Amino acid sequence: MSLTYLAPSWFFGYDVALELLFAVIALMVSIFAFKMYKATNQKQIKLFGISFAFISISYFIQSIFNYLIITKANENVCRAFKIQSIAWFDAVGLYAHILFMTVGLAILAYMTFKTEKTRILWLMMATSLLGIFLSINTLYMFFLFSTIYLVLLSWHFITNYLQNKQKKTLLIAVAFLFMLFGSVHFLVAVNHQLFYAIGHVLELVAYLLIFLNFYLVRKK
Amino acid sequence: MNKKRDRLEIIHDILHSIRDKAGLVRQTHILYKSNLSHQMLVEYVGELMEKEFIIEKEDKKGKKHYELTDKGHNYLNDYKVIRGFVDSYGLN
Repeated sequence: MSLTYLAPSWFFGYDVALELLFAVIALMVSIFAFKMYKATNQKQIKLFGISFAFISISYFIQSIFNYLIITKANENVCRAFKIQSIAWFDAVGLYAHILFMTVGLAILAYMTFKTEKTRILWLMMATSLLGIFLSINTLYMFFLFSTIYLVLLSWHFITNYLQNKQKKTLLIAVAFLFMLFGSVHFLVAVNHQLFYAIGHVLELVAYLLIFLNFYLVRKK
Repeated sequence: MNKKRDRLEIIHDILHSIRDKAGLVRQTHILYKSNLSHQMLVEYVGELMEKEFIIEKEDKKGKKHYELTDKGHNYLNDYKVIRGFVDSYGLN
């Protein structure tokens, strides 16, 4: 199964472009975080950079595989590499996207706990990945775990805003709320295609807000 | 009432106190300027040397001085950006 099966036909192509945009913004934030880590050596910043790198890779994979499926280039790839099953090839793309996104969100959620105990991170990743990949409905479980992580993250960023009321903290709190709403729409999209498109639009708002914050922070 | 300073701010204050004195100061001056206990200061100075933000030097009389490295200077120059990024995501 591929994520493109959840999309309405008129949305084909737009989703690929949006996922590519999310990947680029996440990559920019990740690179910037590593630059900040180099200047400060703060563990929280390193974790943040790693999590956004994973999220970026996940979107790149999703975008590339969706593009291959839409253009039917996946058939050519399978022929070129002598892969028997196209469905298997599409599944690899989907599972890779799920793996990287789940690990990215788990690291980001772990970062908010501000703990030195790495066992908590391993427990979070093991629980969510086993829960997703051993489930009969992998995609549904993936969206469910993503939603849970995004609830935790939204809570953290709202609390951060309430403790430090600035335009920048508000942008991030609202961005993660949009991401949470988007994730809820993906959860419902398993049965209704339109929600898949709405989910992408909500994610677009979220990443634009993150980008706006990125611009404001860099502006000296 | 003033908000409690976080690690980034304390590091900024220590490095700033060194830069204010043309980049070469004794520990007592840092102690006075950074408003930390002696024990805390020793820990921070150790960490800053380990991370290569400052280096320790001895004068002819054997007295220790601290000097900012390029990394320390960069930290002070980029502090506003670092602060903005860290505050945005609650990374402190």
